[in-house]
Amino acid sequence: MLVEDNLNDIDLTLAALEEHHLANEIVVARDGAEALDYLYSRGKFAGRADGPPAVILLDIKMPKVSGLEVLRQMKSDPLLSTLPVVMLTSSREEPDLAASYALGANAYVVKPVDFQQFVDAVRQIGVFWAVVNEPPPRTAIQ
Amino acid sequence: MPLRDLPIRRKLMLILLLTSAVVMLLMRASFFTYEYLTFRRETMRQLSTLGEVIAANSTAALAFDNQDDAREILTALKANRHLVAAALYDGSGRLFAGYPASRPSAAFPATPGGDGFHFEQSYLSGFQPVTQREHRLGTLYLQLDTGVVMREWLWGSVQIALVLMAVIVGVAYLLSRSLQKQVSQPILALAETARAISERKNYSVRATKLGADEVGRLTDAFNQMLGEIQVLNRDLERRVLERTAELEAANGELNRSRAVFESIFENLPGLFLVLKPDLTIVTASDAYLKATMTTREKVAGQKLFDIFPDNPAEPDATGSSNLRSSLGRVLETRATDNMAIQKYDIRGPDGVFEERYWSLVNSPLLGVDRQVEYLIHRVEDVTDFVRHKPSADGDPDAMRIKLEQMEAEIFQSSQKVQASNQQLRSANAELESFSYSVSHDLRAPLRHIDGFAGLLGKSDGKQLSEKGRGYLVHISDSAKQMGTLIDDLLVFSRMGRSEMNLGPVDMRQLADETAQTIQRQEAGERKIKWKLGALPVVQGDRPMLRQVFVNLIANAVKYSRPREEAEIEVGLFDEKHEWVVFVRDNGVGFEMQYAQKLFGVFQRLHRAEEFEGTGIGLANVRRIVTRHGGRTWAESVLGSGATFYFSLPKNPGVKT
Repeated sequence: MLVEDNLNDIDLTLAALEEHHLANEIVVARDGAEALDYLYSRGKFAGRADGPPAVILLDIKMPKVSGLEVLRQMKSDPLLSTLPVVMLTSSREEPDLAASYALGANAYVVKPVDFQQFVDAVRQIGVFWAVVNEPPPRTAIQ
Repeated sequence: MPLRDLPIRRKLMLILLLTSAVVMLLMRASFFTYEYLTFRRETMRQLSTLGEVIAANSTAALAFDNQDDAREILTALKANRHLVAAALYDGSGRLFAGYPASRPSAAFPATPGGDGFHFEQSYLSGFQPVTQREHRLGTLYLQLDTGVVMREWLWGSVQIALVLMAVIVGVAYLLSRSLQKQVSQPILALAETARAISERKNYSVRATKLGADEVGRLTDAFNQMLGEIQVLNRDLERRVLERTAELEAANGELNRSRAVFESIFENLPGLFLVLKPDLTIVTASDAYLKATMTTREKVAGQKLFDIFPDNPAEPDATGSSNLRSSLGRVLETRATDNMAIQKYDIRGPDGVFEERYWSLVNSPLLGVDRQVEYLIHRVEDVTDFVRHKPSADGDPDAMRIKLEQMEAEIFQSSQKVQASNQQLRSANAELESFSYSVSHDLRAPLRHIDGFAGLLGKSDGKQLSEKGRGYLVHISDSAKQMGTLIDDLLVFSRMGRSEMNLGPVDMRQLADETAQTIQRQEAGERKIKWKLGALPVVQGDRPMLRQVFVNLIANAVKYSRPREEAEIEVGLFDEKHEWVVFVRDNGVGFEMQYAQKLFGVFQRLHRAEEFEGTGIGLANVRRIVTRHGGRTWAESVLGSGATFYFSLPKNPGVKT
């Protein structure tokens, strides 16, 4: 799942994932509120059939509900706290890093300006979290 | 005087005399006993002999019954004047003749008793048989008065004893006189020495040893003790002297500081009076004395209200009673009491009272037991103020208005201060959010430019001309370049804003670590000759100072790249007030006319194709060094290397 408000970033991220054939199962949320709706299967996602995502790529700076707030709500809810969350952001600022880890982020990746490096980073995240990593058992989530 | 209190000399003599007298008496007693026994035996023998002679002579008279002869024979006994009685009994036991003739016959024993003599009280008497050829004719009775003899003998014996005693005691006295000296003299000498020492306290005196006996040993021990006492005494005296000197010094110091404090107090610019709780004046500052027209001598030790009475010309004066109740409150509450302005007239030296107004504050000075030890009475002469402000004088409303105005002014200016503080805070916050935006929002579009340029190249690159593909590369490079610039600018801004964590920093260790890291990054592609000198341990922010070395050494390595072997030296100048660290290279150098530009943000002296970089490194160096209270400068000759200097104060008053 990708939570990102910027269309350009969505395009670039999906392009990077596509290069490695990882883009087919991506759910995109355009802000924090939408992401929470999806995770809790409410609003326009009420009664959705698919299970929880293997990993959430979460931007910090978003309208309505920020990435850090999404992270806070997820990690304080026992139903969602085991879902791996990777912060994927432009911010290299120390307060953001510190807050993310304090709230329980599983990883923190700064989007590189260099597209090739960005592609590499997204590929590594996708391969690791969607392929290499064993997700938490479903019983722990539902 | 009891025996034990007698002087040893007398004791010894007494012992000797007593001993010899007792010995003499014992000897005399035994001798006397012997003599007495001998005397008795001898007297008995003599009487017995005499009896035998008389008995022999009396045989005829008895045989022939011649009483006259018998009497005559007995009368011959007159020669022995101690023989008091004698008698002859005939064979039938009848008294035949008696001696002396005058003695009545009844005074003799009626009949003769058993033969033999025996003592009876002071008399020796007995019976002697008168026999002739075994034929007993009668019995002779003799009675001797031994008392007189005994007394004479006894008297002689006593006389002898007395003379002997006198002689012996005399001899013993003379002997003891000379002999006791052997014993008593050393003891007396020792005692005399001890007395002399205890009287004169002179422990260097030593007792003379007169022999090797017990007293001699005692003398030795005594002298040894004296030696020890002398040493201890000397030590004690030395210590006493030292302590005395210390005490005197401390006393002097105390007096000096006391004088200093007194002088400080007396010269204080305020008007102060110090009181005991019973309102006795202890002292006052010069300013107080001047304002109240008196002298310290006149007030010290006096009661406050004796010195400063109310003006008798003003029976309604309340100054002293108000002051009295204020001081009472201070004593009771142990807290400072501020008084309203008082009219309290002061008596001049000429006895005339002058009108005065005072502002008064009374404070307690508490002792260790939290009790009031002194009262500090501080006043301010507001007479001029009261007189020159007739509008306020006696008009409490005007005063209150004035006060309220002042309070309002103070409130306004504090509001202003708070406002500018607020401005400063919001400016800071703005700066924070600005750099956050730069970090986040400026980089995102750059990333998109590069990203889509990359995607375009991938998807349609083949349809583009050579030139078009070149443009795509330029778009990418420029985007990346701007990303680096933004990152560097953010670092630079953070260097200026972030908090400094000061601690001891080993500069040599930092330089070593940096050189090693850079050497590793060059991965052996470059030949670098390092020359790292001794560097100090300074007080500073370790990560920041590391950044200084990283930038300077990396620059040195970078700009000496055209050299086959780079020579990089890090060294130190130990100045009086600061450390000056330098990093020197043998690189391309720069023209000195641009030296000042080097440390500016984005200032570069070389084209990016020659030497890569954003021009932010030295700006960071300058900012860090400045925040540590130091300076930065550089020297170079174009083409023959450059030296970059930075200084750090030895006694940092760090700017933050």
